Amino acid sequence: MNKRLGVYICHCGGNISDYVDVEKVKESIEGEEGVFLAKTTMFACSDATQKEMVEDIRNNNLDGLVVASCSPKLHLLTFRAVSERALLNKYNYVHANIREQGSWAHSDDKAGATAKAIQLVRSAVAKVRLARSLDPIIIPSKKAVAVIGAGVAGMRAAIELSDMGCPVTLIEREHFVGGRTSQWDILFTTNQTGKELVTKLYNDIAGRDNITLITGAEVISNTGSIGDFVLKIRVTPRYIMDKCDENNLAKAIEVCPVVVPDNFNFTITSRKAIYHNFPSEYPHYPVIDIENCTRCGECEKVCKSVDFSQQEQIVEVNVGSVMMATGFDPYTPGEGEFGYKLSDFAVTLPQFKRITDLNEGRLVYKGKEIRNIAYIYCVGSRQSEGDNNYCSRYCCTSAIHASLEAKRKFSNISNFHFTRGVRTYGKQELLYAESLRMGDIYFQAYEENPPSVDVNNGEISVSINDIMTGGREITVEPDLLVLVTGMVPRSDNSVASIFKLPKGRDRFFNEIHMKLRPVETVIDGITICGACQGPKNITESVNSALSAAAKSFSFVNKGQLALEPIIAEVDKETCNWCGKCQEACPFDAVKMVKEGEKEVAVINNSVCKGCGMCLPVCPVNAIDLIAFSDNEIENMIDALSSNI
Amino acid sequence: MAAVNTAFSRELSKFGAFDFNACYNCGNCTAVCSLSNETDSFPREMIRFSVLGLEDDIKGSLKPWLCYYCGECTTHCPQQAEPGELMMSLRRWLTSVYDWTGLSGLLYRSLTATVAAMTAVALGVLAYAFHEDLHLEKIMHTGHLFEMVAIAAVFSVILLPNLVRMWYFIILKPGLRIPVKKYITSLADLFIHMFTQKRTLGCDDSQVRWFEHLVLVFGYLGLLFTTVFLDWFSSDSAFVITLGYVVSIIIFTVTIIFVGERIARKREMNSKSQPSDWMFVVWLFLMGISAFAVRLFSDLGILESNTWLYLTHLIILAQWALVIVPFGKWTHFLYRSFAMYFDKLKKS
Repeated sequence: MNKRLGVYICHCGGNISDYVDVEKVKESIEGEEGVFLAKTTMFACSDATQKEMVEDIRNNNLDGLVVASCSPKLHLLTFRAVSERALLNKYNYVHANIREQGSWAHSDDKAGATAKAIQLVRSAVAKVRLARSLDPIIIPSKKAVAVIGAGVAGMRAAIELSDMGCPVTLIEREHFVGGRTSQWDILFTTNQTGKELVTKLYNDIAGRDNITLITGAEVISNTGSIGDFVLKIRVTPRYIMDKCDENNLAKAIEVCPVVVPDNFNFTITSRKAIYHNFPSEYPHYPVIDIENCTRCGECEKVCKSVDFSQQEQIVEVNVGSVMMATGFDPYTPGEGEFGYKLSDFAVTLPQFKRITDLNEGRLVYKGKEIRNIAYIYCVGSRQSEGDNNYCSRYCCTSAIHASLEAKRKFSNISNFHFTRGVRTYGKQELLYAESLRMGDIYFQAYEENPPSVDVNNGEISVSINDIMTGGREITVEPDLLVLVTGMVPRSDNSVASIFKLPKGRDRFFNEIHMKLRPVETVIDGITICGACQGPKNITESVNSALSAAAKSFSFVNKGQLALEPIIAEVDKETCNWCGKCQEACPFDAVKMVKEGEKEVAVINNSVCKGCGMCLPVCPVNAIDLIAFSDNEIENMIDALSSNI
Repeated sequence: MAAVNTAFSRELSKFGAFDFNACYNCGNCTAVCSLSNETDSFPREMIRFSVLGLEDDIKGSLKPWLCYYCGECTTHCPQQAEPGELMMSLRRWLTSVYDWTGLSGLLYRSLTATVAAMTAVALGVLAYAFHEDLHLEKIMHTGHLFEMVAIAAVFSVILLPNLVRMWYFIILKPGLRIPVKKYITSLADLFIHMFTQKRTLGCDDSQVRWFEHLVLVFGYLGLLFTTVFLDWFSSDSAFVITLGYVVSIIIFTVTIIFVGERIARKREMNSKSQPSDWMFVVWLFLMGISAFAVRLFSDLGILESNTWLYLTHLIILAQWALVIVPFGKWTHFLYRSFAMYFDKLKKS
């Protein structure tokens, strides 16, 4: 293969040429095989030089380009673009880094730096000689998105995707939509209730043809990848017919002998095995909790709408992209952690919010009228001992808001906040200011000296060495102790392993880049949003949901996807399937297929990321990485190790 | 271990403080205060004690008296928690705590009670006057006698026991043991501060405020001395007569300035006047102007035909001596200087 190559050696102002003799590099490279043209330039990245390169390539019919300059992190894409403007396939461009790896690293040894630069450029020339033109891999992409989780984030995202004309399958594990938001009463700052938000979203979704909502549904498997995910969904029936008689149902609930803690109220109340999900029941009919149902048949006797003949179904959905909006669980304190479980009157913040919602007129819990309420902050967050080092972001604001709502709704309430510094960022600061003016009292302690809780004969006392009062020990004896619990990942996050989604150290799902690619995951085609990614309030969850919706839509809207062609390829002649490459692949891109009698490995083009993990494990060297083939790399090494 | 008392906020608000709960403990107030230092850090600590209702700590503290209310703290408070006004309210509250009769507290808390007390005194004076058939000479004689008796009685029955109570809260209760010699050697401080209020000079604002106040103090003490001990109203001495005119002019001139400032509300310290503040300065003004008028009428020979004028003066005087001096703002004259005295003792 005789190539006509152009080589440009950059001064980089003086960054390179102060230490590397660029003229000498040019001279020694001119004689190399295939080098048609070699030039030095003050700034290779300048507009003028870029134009010159384009003209050189066109006028001389060059079919390979090397620029010896800075790190490819800075300008690989710049010079690939130069190639494309000159109608030269961009994979015929090779970058040589003689600044970070040359002049800067060896500024104490000019002769050595020059010698190294020559070797680096030679190796780049050796590689470009073997370079071949590549085209992006085009795969079809099904114009449909599956949104997993019908909380506020998932529902809002589904509506957005629907607006963009994209069919959506909205999959909810519970039998009712709304997630955590449905459990909250009045919300800051809009003063709407959680129920109002959920109602609005549900009614919108119900009126749309291109959103399919499936409740009681759990994803059990995925075969497929970006553009073509095939999800299997197990749908648990409600065991109640669509059109049911309310009166008979009420009787059925009454006769049901099974009583279990009601998770909607965070177990402070109980419900029957057949139950409504008030106050946020969407869809509007009840369900039989089959896991706890004893099948005693009492309900069937009084209500004809009960239908135990309904069967579990497996549904298959084919989509181009999957959006995760699976939410969070509130942290459950350990037994004895700040008095939890030692007193009936030590509750978590979510429980407290339900208690205030369920009471009218007077605040009564377990028969006791509540007047003095103590709040201990950062329970399960910012732990000095424990896994949860992070701040859960929402809890300071939520606790202050809940305490203010309690004060507004009931008379004679006194609030005592035991904090580690209040973090009511942004507009939420106004709430903190209001709370102070309403006479709420705030204490603060450092991490190493948290408040202590004593429970004596059922009476709770909370003590703190308050740094606001010169470290004095202050004690409050509250009627109710609220542990302001943070957010943790869902206890059952098994859906993540179906998609091999990576998790961070905090066990929430991980994005690719916190700032620049905040809703994408390393698994192509799968986006994340809301609190499954890390603690977020409703506003932030919806922000990320809309962002993820746009991103997921971008994977499917054209009906096809162009992927980077630098991937692994298997030589079917040499391959004798042993499975080692499949084990080594972190992206599940290798499959075994039968070619007649022979079993060989096949690479899934849409999943392979070209990481090269499969190459060294192959015992017969049947796998090559396109653009980084053994041949290319060996030639580069030869060039590097040759004498000057 | 201290227990929180949220009721204290509501109690303190009756003495004028408001919104100090808004404090988020940034400490700007303490940082800008030119009188606060490492050993005596305020007002943030006092705000914190007030928010938590740590009454015993406030009772045992001299810090409210160490503040001379320049108002810098209030100007710089990012939460509009009015730290300066809180310190002022704590002084009112402490005044009521020191007062064994409990009347100070009643008068500070209730404007109605104040008006009732003032009215009762006025009616008492009128009743006596009519009892004497408005005989001017007799009334003036009794008036002069009243001044002397009132001074002695108010001091020995009300003010002295209250000072002892203050001493109890500051020195005895915390278990401080101070040698008697120290009490004597520190006396100089008591009188220096009593007659110069020199600590005000430590405030960052203009020293005109200190000067006006100093002139007023000397004018007031001068009038007290000339009327009570030199018997200005009946004196024939040209010196005494002139002195009386001068000091009474000083009083009503300076108080006019003070009233004007309270109306203009340009400075933080004037912006939140309570009834007790108004009454103190207005009655001082009335005392000065009515005393001036009485002597002037007397010199013009028309006092005989204007008995009402002396009666008015006597009513003002009686209200001053029986309400404002023992139970009102007048006491700050003593508590401030004794606070400096006790502070000296504490630090010895």
